[in-house]
Parts: sequence; structure tokens; C-alpha cells
Amino acid sequence: MSERYDIAIIGSGPAGLEAAINAKIRNKNVIIFGNKDFSPKLIKAPKINNYLGFYNISGKELKNQFENHIKNMNINIVEERIDAVYAMGEYFALMVNQKMYEATSVILATGIEYGKPIKGEEEFLGKGVGYCATCDAPLYKGKIVAIIGYNKEAEHEANYVSELASTVYYIPMYKGDLELNSNIHIINGIPKEIVGEDRVTKLILNSEIIETDGVFVLKDSISPSQLVPGLEMENGHIKVDRSMRTNIRRCYAAGDCVGKPYQYMKAAGEGQIAGLTAVDEL
Amino acid sequence: MVREINSRNFIQEVINSEQAVLVDFWAPWCGPCRMLGPVIEELAEDMGEKAKFFKINVDENPEIASKYRISSIPNVMIFKNGEVVENMVGFRPKQDFQSAIAKHV
Repeated sequence: MSERYDIAIIGSGPAGLEAAINAKIRNKNVIIFGNKDFSPKLIKAPKINNYLGFYNISGKELKNQFENHIKNMNINIVEERIDAVYAMGEYFALMVNQKMYEATSVILATGIEYGKPIKGEEEFLGKGVGYCATCDAPLYKGKIVAIIGYNKEAEHEANYVSELASTVYYIPMYKGDLELNSNIHIINGIPKEIVGEDRVTKLILNSEIIETDGVFVLKDSISPSQLVPGLEMENGHIKVDRSMRTNIRRCYAAGDCVGKPYQYMKAAGEGQIAGLTAVDEL
Repeated sequence: MVREINSRNFIQEVINSEQAVLVDFWAPWCGPCRMLGPVIEELAEDMGEKAKFFKINVDENPEIASKYRISSIPNVMIFKNGEVVENMVGFRPKQDFQSAIAKHV
């Protein structure tokens, strides 16, 4: 069995980092997932004047300060993208492709990068709309499937589905060459709405309407409620109490993903609360 | 305990049951289904007297999967008096199933 961490933190922006340093100060076994630039939003900021103690600092300079800070505390960021977090009861299973991490608590600090769902997407989830084509493909044997792909990986899933489904439409949401099986129909258009009655029947695009039994939406970043099945949301943000607890026991959230204002200090403050609550409730 | 059922005993075990029945539609190739398995097992331990717990492999029982129009798995349904009273798609924490069953027992 793999090592079980005390706290797994998903996201390496200010909220995630602040949660990590506080948990580390309290001597907990912490793992933090993210990327080496910490946060793409941070390095893009030209000037920051509302981060106490750092007047007139650029995002890149602040990022360097963060980097020094965590290095001094021996915190390393694991550069892996968590696909799903399952609340197993006594622990959480964090899935990365075929690998699994285990943690007693989870802090979500994923920011707010995910796009808005397509009209009808949420309504028909599980009634023809899905997010994992390879998971559900066998259920579409001999049926029509439309795949809205936001990245290259979606092409592999489309190719797999095309071996089972009778017809596959692929709607690329990015530019570049497509490596798709020859039996896949490529549609260039912008999806507007998924419609049906008790099941999906059609996908409406700005260019045309296609009849389909299923629609797979394959995005880069997924919304927190898809990342953590069963997580309660409110107005597009994760619902938390003042101690940063979500509706799931030992799952906490901090930063932009819990709501406005989207600010560094607010994110860091919430990360600290989440980190301390997580430590207290271990 | 969660028992495996199939299309032959589905009517007898699920439809004709006087107790509420939870059915976990799953398949071996489905990752989230494998994660959900132990959660449902635990739930069956906790609530085994209040409801019955079954799982059905959709690969081996396509006629049941298509009758209940399963388009995404895992899919957990709760049956009462032969009718589907709750339909929960995707992995969920144990607590969600607990409260769903509690409504019907």
C-alpha cells in the first residue's frame, strides 16, 4: 500500500502554499500538487500594491519570494495533475492517471480557471453527458457520440470511442493538427447547447445541429465538483464555512475556488485557516 | 454484504423486494466503479438491516443496463416497490448514499 499523507493540498497558488507552510510548521506529513511556476496568474501580474509588506512588487518577484520561502521549509511541489479525488470514508484517494495517492485530509486550492459549462451540460450529466469517454465508451456501442475536445489528449479518447460507437463527431476547441481515426467526423463550430428530454438527443452548435446519443466534454481543468464527486457548490464556488470546511468531512477549500474577491492576501489567509483546521481535525 | 445479481434474478431480488434496494451498476474496466465498491460494502455493513445491497455488472447484463438506460457508470439506483426512487450517477461519498437510503426506509 502507498504511503498515506496527513494532508494533500491540490493547487500551488498562494492559498495552497500558505496551507502547506502552516501544516508543515505543525509537523504534518504534507504533499502539495501543482506546478513549478506556482500559479500562471501570479507570474502574469505586472504590479502588485495590495500585498502587505511588498509594495510595488511584480508577480514574478513575489513568486520568487514564495519559492525561497517554501525551499527554506523543505516543501516540494509535486508536478502532477490530480484527475479525481474520492472520499473513501476514512481517507481520500487522489487519482493521477493510473497512480493513486492516499491522504487523510484534502485541501482544495485549485483557483478558478475552469470555463463555464455549456448550456444543458449539467442538466444532462449522466443522461448522455459524460466527462470520461474511456470510462463510458462501452455503453455507447453502436450509438452516436459527440466529443467536445479541449486538448490533444481528447483525440486519444475519441479514437478509442470510434472503435465502439457507430458514429463519432469531434469538435476541437483548440487550434493545431488533429490525429484522429479516418472514421471520425470533424466539426468546426462552437457548441451552444445540449438538448434532449430525459436523455441527450442533440448538440446545437453555432454552425449546425447534430443528432447524438451522447456528448463527452473533455476539458483541461475540471470544476471542483467533478474533481471531488459529492462536493457541494454554491454560485460556481465551493461552499465552505468560516473554518474552510466543505460539506465533505476532512475536505477543505481555500482561495479563488471558494469565492470572491480574487486576491492574493485573501487566498493566503484562507489557505492558512484551511491548513490549521485540517491539522486540528486530523 | 453486497451481493452480485444478474438479469435472471433481478426481478425477484430487486423488483419484488419489500425492502428498499440499492443497486450498484458497475463494470470491471471502470476506475471510479472500483473505488466505489468498498464504499458500498461499508454502507452495506452499516445499513444491512434497513435495506438490501446488490451490484450488477453492466457488461454481463446489457439488457438490464439498457432497460434502466445506464449511460454513465458508476450509477447507483435505489428501488422501492419495484420503482427507481433515487438515481445517483458517478462516485459519491458514503454519506450521500446513506441519506438517500434513509429517505426510503
